[in-house]
Amino acid sequence: MPTLHPHAQKIVTRARRRGAHFSAAANLLWIPQAAVIAHVLATFLIGGAVDPVGAGVAVFALGLMRALLNLAGQRALVRAADLEIGFLRRRIARQEAATLIPSRIGGAGALAALSTEKLELLRPFLLRYTPARHRVALVPVIILAIAAWYSWAVAVVLLIAGPLIPVFMALVGWAAQDASARQMEEVGSLTDILTDRLAALSDLRLIGAGAALGTGFADATEKLRARTMAVLRIAFLSSTVLELFAALGVAMVAVWVGFSLLGEITWGTWGTPITPFGGIFLLLLVPEFFQPLRDLAAAWHDKSAAEAVRAETETWDNDARENLTGSGSPARALPFTGLATEGLMLHRSGDRLKFPDLQVAPGESIALTGPSGAGKTTLLRLLAGLDRPTGGRLLLGDTQLAETTADQWRASIGWMPQMPRFLARSLRHNITFGPPLDPSLTDLAQLSPVQSSLPRGDPTQLGETGAGLSGGEARRVMLARALHHRPAVLLVDEPTADLDAVTARDIIAGLLGHVVHGGTLIAATHDPNLIRALSREIRLGE
Amino acid sequence: MKHLFAISLLLLRQEKRAFALGLALAALVLAMGVALLSLSGWFITAAAAAGLAGLGALFNVFIPSALVRFLALGRTAARYGERLTTHDATLRTLANLRLDLIRGLVQAPYRQAERLRASRVLNRVTSDVDALDGLPLRLVLPALAGLAIVTLSTVATGLLAAPALGGVLLVGHGVLPSLLFWHGAGRADKPARRSAAGMQAMRSRMIDLVTARDDLAAFGQLRGARHHFMQAIRYHHRARSALDRFDRGIGFTLEMIGWSTVAVTLALATQMVRDDTLLPAQAAIAIFAALALTEAVAPVRRAMEEIGQMRRAASRILPMLECDTAQRHDVSLTAGPVELCGLELRRSPHGAPLFPPLDLKIAPGEMIAITGPSGCGKSTLLLAIAGQIHPHRGHVSLAGHRVETVAPETLARHLAIVPQRHALVAGTIAENLRLADPEADEAALWQALEATNIAHVIRARGGLEARLGFRGAGLSGGEARRLVLARALLRKPDVLLLDEPTEGLDGPGAARVMVGMRAALPQAVILVAAHRPEEIDAADRRLSLSPLQASH
Repeated sequence: MPTLHPHAQKIVTRARRRGAHFSAAANLLWIPQAAVIAHVLATFLIGGAVDPVGAGVAVFALGLMRALLNLAGQRALVRAADLEIGFLRRRIARQEAATLIPSRIGGAGALAALSTEKLELLRPFLLRYTPARHRVALVPVIILAIAAWYSWAVAVVLLIAGPLIPVFMALVGWAAQDASARQMEEVGSLTDILTDRLAALSDLRLIGAGAALGTGFADATEKLRARTMAVLRIAFLSSTVLELFAALGVAMVAVWVGFSLLGEITWGTWGTPITPFGGIFLLLLVPEFFQPLRDLAAAWHDKSAAEAVRAETETWDNDARENLTGSGSPARALPFTGLATEGLMLHRSGDRLKFPDLQVAPGESIALTGPSGAGKTTLLRLLAGLDRPTGGRLLLGDTQLAETTADQWRASIGWMPQMPRFLARSLRHNITFGPPLDPSLTDLAQLSPVQSSLPRGDPTQLGETGAGLSGGEARRVMLARALHHRPAVLLVDEPTADLDAVTARDIIAGLLGHVVHGGTLIAATHDPNLIRALSREIRLGE
Repeated sequence: MKHLFAISLLLLRQEKRAFALGLALAALVLAMGVALLSLSGWFITAAAAAGLAGLGALFNVFIPSALVRFLALGRTAARYGERLTTHDATLRTLANLRLDLIRGLVQAPYRQAERLRASRVLNRVTSDVDALDGLPLRLVLPALAGLAIVTLSTVATGLLAAPALGGVLLVGHGVLPSLLFWHGAGRADKPARRSAAGMQAMRSRMIDLVTARDDLAAFGQLRGARHHFMQAIRYHHRARSALDRFDRGIGFTLEMIGWSTVAVTLALATQMVRDDTLLPAQAAIAIFAALALTEAVAPVRRAMEEIGQMRRAASRILPMLECDTAQRHDVSLTAGPVELCGLELRRSPHGAPLFPPLDLKIAPGEMIAITGPSGCGKSTLLLAIAGQIHPHRGHVSLAGHRVETVAPETLARHLAIVPQRHALVAGTIAENLRLADPEADEAALWQALEATNIAHVIRARGGLEARLGFRGAGLSGGEARRLVLARALLRKPDVLLLDEPTEGLDGPGAARVMVGMRAALPQAVILVAAHRPEEIDAADRRLSLSPLQASH
């Protein structure tokens, strides 16, 4: 569990403790309420007079206090939950925005799930389980003491039934856990199966596999249902044990009290026979002896869910990942007088890449070529300040790429990755990150067919798949984005791969346009047309 | 609310008997709980009265004490039975709902089904279905059982104690909580919707932050993206706090309604005992029933927070369950030509045409390569030929029948498209292949695998029973490609439409696959959206699509 800030931890713990105290206090108020009700009924029996309004007001006033205590307790617990969840969420955002290395818990989907709905699972745990556990430690003990004061027989019943419950529940719980672990290994959840089938649905129906898909799904879910029921049959036993003991406890106390009051039973008290008040009071208190245990059992699922989330958060947190150089903020570009590398190398997971020294003058256009695996993409990433070299240095003019200069360095560079990726924002934001589009850029990147193909032009919201943009259109958008801030150096990775001839020609024209306007270009490519159009070729891996 | 009601009916109807049994057991559990406490209260009070009057020996203790024990054990057994029955019925229902969803989407317009490929849409659909999971178990059954037991207790208290006391229970535990629920369900909707929107924003911004991390860093936008996510946290926090405040308010009101009911019952019963119109033991029945009934009202609070989400989920899911019922014909499309007549396609209803009107006739046994720059509409053309999207003008006919008049099942029997993506699901290789033809024997499967030059790979991986992970994880791009091509062959279609079929294969491999496919289906019309020389060379003819530039 990633520890909270000591200060935050203190606030969370205090709020949680306060919430638990309030909730236990509310439960204990049942004791005076029960006393009022028992007093009323007992007074009837001896023929005494009770003030109806007084009795009603007493129960109501105590009920109001209970409700207010519950309200205050909930407020404190919600605050504790908000603080803890908010802290973890912000921490995930800060860490994920500081590194470029993927987390070992998975990709974007896993992190999005962790930071949103999974962290929310801590809420029911803090709101329901924490106070229930506190009540279990306090309320039954006090009720047991009261019961013992009236009758040792009732105390013995409670003393036997109470502690036996957790033992049986634990036994049954183990069996259930074992069965459910076995199930989880064999099949995923219903949601996983549905997601898997729905993702393939639109393509499978094209080969007429729609009906077969439904049948296969029905089989898979039926298997899952049978297995889940096998687990539930055992799991429900644990709550049944609890209810059985609670019900038997109440029944035994009721029968003992009834027989004692009739005078049939004379044992079980400390000498004087039980009074009608004592008997009714006990009967009212006994269910409340078992109630905290029942609450705890009902919240048990919340606890295991929260533990799974905490374990995943811990795995995420224990992942020592290298941070990005610099902060990733906008900065003023450095004046460009040439780019150079000296003894650049990168060792990562067994791979050892050593790069030739580069000297690139302003206005040059360079093709990086070489077999796949030679490190073309890696070199581009190093030049863009997206990876830390294991050795050597990078120079932009006289400025070395370092922690303090990295943001300025990247501001001087335009970046066009091989795989287009879109933010779930407008086309315009995907190109300029805010400002309006520059018309000259629209011409340079041949963007107008893209704009006209979208239903609402450049304010159209794109999704991760680019709202139906084709591969060529996506590449044009990537080019426009790379050129928008007028970078001195443009780094592009396989800009024409998988493109048809027309689009490839347009992209090459856009890249050369940048060079004609005095820009510098470094392109990793194996496209002969592009290599021919550039001024120099550097081969890697030789 | 209309949609929620419709979905509830749909869910309950499918497992009618199990739910009726579950409901009866749930009501029995509540009734036994109330009876246990009331009977115990009556028993003790009556016993005390008899004891005080010196009549203890005459009091029949056997029946009440046996009844108390019976109720205690019976309640526990009924509870176990109820939980098993309703959970089993719910699991069946959930599976049925998902199956209906799949069946509905299989028949939905192609563009709607296609949207599921984006994980945002997919997430929304699955989380909507998940939200509906609680509908039978947490909303419908507790509400029905609660109302039944409150009514029953009202009648019992009215008969055994006094009608006025029964009336107090009905108002305090039945009418007022129901009114609170109707009032609250509407008011909870706005903060619940905002909280869900905040959650959605966080999810989508985290996905952006992680998937586009490199690009965001390169453009100095990483800190901005983090800030954007933090804004969503704050928005969600505000909405969540409002929802929590509301929830606390409801909890407080519900608790106070409960205590008021107990207080009024106590005061009224006391007054009646004083007026000698009620025996103390009868008063005990009413008071204990008032206390025990609070258990029946408890689910109101939880249901209220969820109902808004369920309602929105229901209104989004319900339309997806409905099947297209337009009149279609079952005809034979075997050995007929594919004809395009004045076909004109647009990417969106108001967009510009993708290419000039097309006229073309393709005979059985012919293979056509469709070429043109990316974005010129090759994939769209294949979808139109398959009848998945409607042309803007003109029409497509298969063996003389216009494609939009052919029943979808007929179309599926005679025509197959292999899109660019590899649609594979978790399961064995054989299961994935048999999606196309559930009847195919092993020899047929191997034959198809041979045709697409992938049999040796599958053999090396352990044969047809080798398992794939979710979405076909475990195969490389080129292997998955050849597997989905083999699957399409198993259908033995008369018209086969291939979208860049050899993407990810090397040159000689691509050529072998093209030859293998042609040989496997000698009489079929094959159309290939082609962009590689191997694909174009394998074709008999070439249809070149020249894009119409938008007039800007």
